[in-house]
Amino acid sequence: MAKQITSSSTAEYFAKNLQQVGFSSPTKAVLTTLKEAVDNSLDACEESGILPDISIVVKKVGAGASKTSDLVEIVVEDNGPGIEQDDLAKVYGEYLASSKFGRGRATRGQQGIGISAATTWAQLTNASGAKVTSKTKGMRKALRAIVDVDIKGNKGLLKHKEMIDWDKPHGVKVEFRIDGRIQLNGDGGLLTYLEGTTLVNPHLKLSYKLMDADWVHIERVSDTVPEIPAATLPHPHTMKLGEFITHAGLYGKIEFGKFLKTGFSRVQDATLKDLIKSGLPKNQMSIPTGKLSQDQLKNVFQIIQKTEMQAPSTRSVLTIGEESLAKSILRLGDVDFFSVVARKPRIADYKPVVVEVALARFLNRGGGDEPIQLLRFANRVPLQFDKAACAITQAVETVNWRAYGLQQSKDSLPIGSFVFAISVVSPFIKFKNASKETIDSSDELVEEIRRALMQAGQKLSRHIRKESKEADLERKIAHIEQFGPILIEYLGKIAGAKEPRKKKAAEGLRKLLGRDAQAAEKDLSEAEVRLAALRDKQRKAGLFDIADYNDEKTLAEGEVAEVIEAEVGDDETTITRTRMNKATEKAVALGKSTGKKTNGDGGVSESPRKLTANSTSKAAGTQTTAKAADVTTTSKAAQATTTKAAGTTAKASK
Amino acid sequence: MDKIIRIRKLTKDIPKEARLLCDTMLSELERANRPVLEAVKCALDNSFYNPKVGYLTPGDKKVRTELNVSSVQKMARVIFMLDQLLGMVESNTVRTYREHYYTAKGVVKTDKSKMLKPLDFQSQEECDSVIDFIGDMLEVYREELNCFANDRGGQTYSQQLIVSESLPDGTTATIDLSTLGTSPYQPKNRPQALKLKLKKKVEFCLVVESEGTAGSLVANGMTKRHNCIVMGAQGVPSNGVRGWCKLIQEELKVPMFFFGDLDAYTIQNIYRTLKAGSAASLIRNADFSAPEVHFLGVLPEDVKKYDLFCYDVNEKDPAENRSLKKAKDALQNDPFFHDKKNKRLVSILEWLITNKKRCEQQAFYSVDPNNKTIMEDLIVEKIRRGHYI
Repeated sequence: MAKQITSSSTAEYFAKNLQQVGFSSPTKAVLTTLKEAVDNSLDACEESGILPDISIVVKKVGAGASKTSDLVEIVVEDNGPGIEQDDLAKVYGEYLASSKFGRGRATRGQQGIGISAATTWAQLTNASGAKVTSKTKGMRKALRAIVDVDIKGNKGLLKHKEMIDWDKPHGVKVEFRIDGRIQLNGDGGLLTYLEGTTLVNPHLKLSYKLMDADWVHIERVSDTVPEIPAATLPHPHTMKLGEFITHAGLYGKIEFGKFLKTGFSRVQDATLKDLIKSGLPKNQMSIPTGKLSQDQLKNVFQIIQKTEMQAPSTRSVLTIGEESLAKSILRLGDVDFFSVVARKPRIADYKPVVVEVALARFLNRGGGDEPIQLLRFANRVPLQFDKAACAITQAVETVNWRAYGLQQSKDSLPIGSFVFAISVVSPFIKFKNASKETIDSSDELVEEIRRALMQAGQKLSRHIRKESKEADLERKIAHIEQFGPILIEYLGKIAGAKEPRKKKAAEGLRKLLGRDAQAAEKDLSEAEVRLAALRDKQRKAGLFDIADYNDEKTLAEGEVAEVIEAEVGDDETTITRTRMNKATEKAVALGKSTGKKTNGDGGVSESPRKLTANSTSKAAGTQTTAKAADVTTTSKAAQATTTKAAGTTAKASK
Repeated sequence: MDKIIRIRKLTKDIPKEARLLCDTMLSELERANRPVLEAVKCALDNSFYNPKVGYLTPGDKKVRTELNVSSVQKMARVIFMLDQLLGMVESNTVRTYREHYYTAKGVVKTDKSKMLKPLDFQSQEECDSVIDFIGDMLEVYREELNCFANDRGGQTYSQQLIVSESLPDGTTATIDLSTLGTSPYQPKNRPQALKLKLKKKVEFCLVVESEGTAGSLVANGMTKRHNCIVMGAQGVPSNGVRGWCKLIQEELKVPMFFFGDLDAYTIQNIYRTLKAGSAASLIRNADFSAPEVHFLGVLPEDVKKYDLFCYDVNEKDPAENRSLKKAKDALQNDPFFHDKKNKRLVSILEWLITNKKRCEQQAFYSVDPNNKTIMEDLIVEKIRRGHYI
């Protein structure tokens, strides 16, 4: 006898398959819960035009229900518009209840699954759902309640409702207690997530306290709330047959021709003529859409797919922008140099997409011989798992980074203490799985990402080339010091030359090699000029540049001047190399005070640059060790001091 | 110490040439001019082949090293090593490459002033290339600088050959190869004063690419059944093997045949080097090549005639694909293969490129597994019927 067939609610399905939406391990559970709560807060703020101010606490509060996990508390509080009481249960306790589902907008959340899954996880592992406090603008008191998921009915249930005083004008605070494990670092770590979120949300003010560490406060670097463009109508080439038929069902009495024109983007009168030319019966255009049979609709769909059409509009994507990205990257640590590229919105696989790239070398991160740190983003959400299969990783690995001065083995990530942040924004990102960890790769998308990376790589190479020229100059000077005397000594030995002859030859040698060193110096200054030209171009385009930051910083650290002189016999000087910091040159030329203020330690204070935690500054200037008799080098560098305040290293003001 | 036997009558006085070179360089430096070191360019693009001459000869191209900040290291190393080599020549002492490398390291280590420390060679290759450059610069053999490579290849077997060696102490050693039992006679990589004599006229001298196969042929009685000389090349022939073949060819006037694999590496690197020398040793080819040696096989027609087992060249395998590239490169750039006298060798390379196959010399054993002397029989038959190039 056949078994009885039963149907299950959506909540039941997800409750049994939470691994599909990011709850596959205790560490992922903590990260996913945090991520879903923060995404919701950011989306809500942006929808209401509010600059987000989010605070996060993640801590261990006891032993978990299972052997391998702890009881972890995750608290996320925002200054968003708040959620009305009627919606609270839907948002946190009902699956597929979303204000964004299928709207074709580049928001972080799309389907209304994530936060309900977090509530379910809390309920399954700690027998209690999400504790939510919400206050909207019109409320005098805040509503606090526990939201549980009614798994059988896919409904949210509000429990222990109470009205409380809350000094915030509006906002939401959500608290989860779940079974999990806290991982701070590495690809799947909380810090990596927070760093990534900070990077792609320049308008975000973030405070967080993880485990027993101090609070970290990160200021926003942009006062503009990104405007999420309105959704556009679907493009017929982006649809599947089933979607097309369902879409047609919504336009029952409307004439079919009108349906095509009003129900899709990029379908105009000329397009209809093209479709008729391609074999669509002309009389079909005036038939009400609902009267067309499935076969007829299938035939139309096939003709549409074969007909060339204008690409979809790119207006529905949003960009972070080069300037904001450039400012934002400085919040991640002490940046040596960086390069950002924001591509114009393009069409890849008939879907509008925008790719933005920030490549930065940090002074205090990663080992020089380890692969770069790759931060991937889809619709401004960090992607932290299954890196290898992602379109972004594929694009990075297939660029020849050696051409830009980086080390790289074939088809691998390049090597060095760089962070590569790559953001893909599109209202229709195709993920490989429901937990949105990997972007599915298509040739067009990978190529678009590669182009952005190559543009950024070209900019980066100017910095790297300048460095290699500097190294070249140092190497050449070292060669003169090291090998010149050996050459003279052995030439003299074989030729049987006496001391005066050897001495004269040594003088000649230094003159010759001094000329070469000057030529190398010229190469270096040419590389510097090329780099300066790039920076000028960026400045003219209104882009923030690390050079401004570094010049300012080095000035504050004290004038840096290196003078290398080589004395050759009776000649006064044959090699004179003066390398002054550009800012110092400027200051000397102008004869002006730099206006810097020194602090009590002899260090220098600079204006707060809204820096992130743990940033330290690098000692300026390189000191070249030289043989006193031949080459002397003087270098004066003062190391800036850093002031620590509440766990944050801030650079104090001028 | 006994006087070292020389390969050729050298008209150059090496110490004098070296002194002159260094004196000129010093004078240039005194005038603050850039001294220059020049050496013959030992590369295919400076190689010429004339079948009447018989070996690859150098063109006019030179490798020019002018003093600048980038070349000062190389120049200092060359002059330092030149001093070391002169010391060997003047004291009549010899070294191998590796011994030179360690001697140089020792000089650096014991230098009290520590001035030489940056000069230290990090690998033997660095040191070898400097020694080779000095040879090319002075246009002398490295053997004339008392630098010798390890002995490799040339194991020779014959019932008829007698070698007389004049030793540096004035005595003569006479070696009758038929009295050596299972041991071969092996020529050295350093110069030897040898005279050759035959007890009976020999039909041919066979040089086999694989030393193992040469040994098997002899062990199975080839040198007893045939009046011949059998030699194992052991891969790319060393200077010792090349000089030894030249001596056999010139003194005994016997037909000489090379038998090896049917692949581009064997034809270009082994056979061409034995017959006409190499691009890397352009200045030495006159004394280190045997222009009369014939290519006995394996030939493509042998593959067809005897249905020999071949390997497909796997183009996806980098090493095997390199062999195909090598064949194409030889056809394009090697002057030896541009000469019309070598048209048949060219057609073999083209066959290899087209068919993407290679056949090993040992495949002859597959023709008749029951015949213990099949390899010998086929070789002798090929020689008698003139099936060679």
